[in-house]
Amino acid sequence: MGVQPVRRRVAGAIAAVLGAAALTAALVSGASAGPSDQSARGGTYRVGWESSFGWTNSFDPTGEYLANGFVIYQNLMLRTLVQFNHVAGPAGNIPVPDLATSVPKPTNGGKRYTFTLKNGVRWGPPVNRELTSQDVKYAIERLARPKNGAQYGFYFNIIKGLQAYGDGKAKSISGIKTPTSKKIIFDLTAPAGDFPMRLTMGAAAPIPQEVAKCFEGKPGAYGRYVIASGPYMIEGSEDLDISSCGAMKPISGYDGQTKLTLVRNPNYRASTDSRKARENNPDSFEFIVNTNLDDIYDKVGAGELEDEFATASPKVFAEYSRDASKRKYLKSNSADGTYYLTMNLTQPPFDDVHVRRAMNWVMDKQALRKAWGGPIAGEIAQHILPNPMLLGKLNGFQPFKTPGDKGSVAKARAEMKQSKYANSNGVCKAKECKGVLLISDVRAVDKLTLPVIQAAAAKIGITFTVRTVNGAYPVLQTTSKNVPISNRPRWFKDYADPSTFIDPLFFGGNIIPTGNTNYALVGVKASQAKALGLTGNVNNVPSIDGLADECRAKTGNARVTCYAAIDRVLTTQVAPWVPYMWAYTVNIIGPNVTKWTFDQAAGLTGLAHVAVKG
Amino acid sequence: MGRSSFRSGTSGRCLYSRDDRGSRARVTTADVAVGPAVAVAGRSPRQLFWMRFKQDRAAIAGGVVILLLIFLAIFGGPLAERITGHQQNEPFPETMLDEFGLPFGPSSEFWFGADAAGRDLFVRTMYGARTSLLVGIVAAGLAVTIGTIIGLLAGYFGRLTDMLLSRGADVMLAVPYFLISIGIVAACSTTKEGCLGGLVQPGLTLVILVIVLFSWPYTARVIRGNTLSLREKEFVEASRSLGAGSTRIIAGDLLPNLVAPIVVLATLLVPQSILFEAALSYLGLGVPPDQASWGQILADASGLYDVAWWLMVFPGAFLVVTTLAFNLLGDGLRDALDVRTDR
Repeated sequence: MGVQPVRRRVAGAIAAVLGAAALTAALVSGASAGPSDQSARGGTYRVGWESSFGWTNSFDPTGEYLANGFVIYQNLMLRTLVQFNHVAGPAGNIPVPDLATSVPKPTNGGKRYTFTLKNGVRWGPPVNRELTSQDVKYAIERLARPKNGAQYGFYFNIIKGLQAYGDGKAKSISGIKTPTSKKIIFDLTAPAGDFPMRLTMGAAAPIPQEVAKCFEGKPGAYGRYVIASGPYMIEGSEDLDISSCGAMKPISGYDGQTKLTLVRNPNYRASTDSRKARENNPDSFEFIVNTNLDDIYDKVGAGELEDEFATASPKVFAEYSRDASKRKYLKSNSADGTYYLTMNLTQPPFDDVHVRRAMNWVMDKQALRKAWGGPIAGEIAQHILPNPMLLGKLNGFQPFKTPGDKGSVAKARAEMKQSKYANSNGVCKAKECKGVLLISDVRAVDKLTLPVIQAAAAKIGITFTVRTVNGAYPVLQTTSKNVPISNRPRWFKDYADPSTFIDPLFFGGNIIPTGNTNYALVGVKASQAKALGLTGNVNNVPSIDGLADECRAKTGNARVTCYAAIDRVLTTQVAPWVPYMWAYTVNIIGPNVTKWTFDQAAGLTGLAHVAVKG
Repeated sequence: MGRSSFRSGTSGRCLYSRDDRGSRARVTTADVAVGPAVAVAGRSPRQLFWMRFKQDRAAIAGGVVILLLIFLAIFGGPLAERITGHQQNEPFPETMLDEFGLPFGPSSEFWFGADAAGRDLFVRTMYGARTSLLVGIVAAGLAVTIGTIIGLLAGYFGRLTDMLLSRGADVMLAVPYFLISIGIVAACSTTKEGCLGGLVQPGLTLVILVIVLFSWPYTARVIRGNTLSLREKEFVEASRSLGAGSTRIIAGDLLPNLVAPIVVLATLLVPQSILFEAALSYLGLGVPPDQASWGQILADASGLYDVAWWLMVFPGAFLVVTTLAFNLLGDGLRDALDVRTDR
């Protein structure tokens, strides 16, 4: 591995702020250190995948929004201008240069980012040529064209001219310039301190036009033809005939349904990469779909698989925790995600902040966490954003803390007394509190939390009519359904910036009729009610839009402090959620794994650093 | 039994006796009249039915178990709550779930142990009897009623009526009912009001409707076949020649002769409906999660059976016993009502 002279300049605007935390992380991270010499190389790292691949866009990086997809792209297949080191703890959330020579500081009042690409990075077979700034530009243009199915294109709307290009009003994106094949300049409409992090996502990874042009307007189709720029490529890529669109047949190493095999990309040069970011130990990776969850864990235990992308159940936790010989195969890491109950600010009785606060007081968070497997599944959440996302700025902030986190009926009723719905005892007798619609999912764990929620809410006089839906998200995401409360949502960061919680979940301006993720409708205005099909109380709904606008433009420590302030306001003054757990990602690994680490940014296994017996 | 019963049956009154193997063999009054003169008492069809039925100990046992289950369905849940002091949806996460959220097994306080949410499994199993039997009996009753009406109309009127109704039943039989069930329940379960303007409510009602929707064609086909045969019988001809209208013939002549298959179909459909609900629950489409049913409990146990055997054993045993009881009763009724059937 060659030394990269620019590595000392890693610290961009955000990275500088996170530096201190990184030092701490190096001390507290639960990831294994393990060998990193040549002896770790070789072998096949096999991963059992629960039920189905479950892609959101058929593994096409332009639209793929599945975390499992992110971890494969970022660790193994695709290189981006900026990336993470794929390690555990806060250090894993610091952006570092990947294709770029450095993470640039913004200029022009925070609205311009200029990247210089490294030399010597080549596309994998069959493209084989040098990777250029035009490939980066093409990827952004591709996601801007609506017909290509970008699912998180909103993160890039801040690029000047992107919206006009997407609407067909311009022939190019005015905010992207490529003065040379190794230089790319982004001009933004407003300062965005997290812009480099947005470029870590799969959709921003360069794409070779000569291949992808054949799949224009066919969302997801490129997923069977993804050309590698990273250390691994889809097995059989070298056999792909790109002489014409008609000649192309899907790459053999990915059947689209049951198995994805990655092998080394012969064009990858480790000298253009950082060993801190990617070690590339195994010779190949296999991702194998298995519909039998028990079978996945049996195979991991037997050494027939090395890892799993599956949901470990409490019985698996118990098995691996109680047996001392197995304990070393159990890995639990904070995943920067929050599990919560969401309450709709427009729907009675949750249109009253005192009711929402009372729900926070009365809920038995300890019991809710047990439904997920107890302490090994996560930490009790005391506010909205996981503490690591705020670099510990809200450590100790516990506005609804109760003994043992089991809830307090007395405090809940004291809060309820101030509500327009409750009587003097703090118990709601109003009809608005009876039979309130609660949307849940058919998943076993969601059903397990229901009795806890129902028993707690009953103590303040709220009863529910429960509807379990097979796939509840589309219902929740349709504003006209006017769902008062749900136990289904959980949210993980898209990248390591608090804005990935605040903007999609609480910004009133982002509320849309379908696909809406601001389930609580924080910040909704009366003028939006008709278009959104809202039936509840839309007057004077609390908003944090102004605060969010302020934070979005900030960088560094000021940015994190700003978002911490929003969290305080949300948790105490708005109380749209009952956050109950900051989730951990739990992995069970096989006995042949010789090195394993957690990718904090992706929230899954750090595939770039794993090793297996050859 | 209606007054027209058995008019289309075999000639001569039939009695039954046990043969050497213990099974019943059919004999006629002519057989028993051989030998010294013995006074043969005349028996009504009801007496004949009862005489045959009471000899079937398995069927009697099935009937007794069903009566017990009905008692359990009505009083079991509240009684269990009173005895244990535990509500059916009351979780005991601190005492009945371990640190990983796994439930503890049977104890002196929790006779059947706890379910995965830490609730008293005994109380929930007792309440489950109510839901499961309600689903079974109501759904079977409705399905048999609808199936009988459609089968009678199709079989009696024939021609276009038969074609339309029979093809309708065929279509329903051809429908992949699990897929459609998933669709219907999902479509009607996302709002408090249900669907079709509140006509179809989510929950128990919807589950029963789904079961009925896919169960009536079986009854309709059987009843249609029987009606096709019966409508050609002399007693129907006689009624018709005396001026009886279609309604009179269907209600007064045909229906009473269809009681046997109807009763048998109903008893067989009850356990099928209970199992159907269990299957829907397994897919997460059954009754609401706060309403215990055996199917629901078993569905929830599917991921934990290897570490919490009690989750499968207790509700499973009740489900098996119920299914067996209805099947035994159905078999006994069929044997007792249908004089042409030998065991």
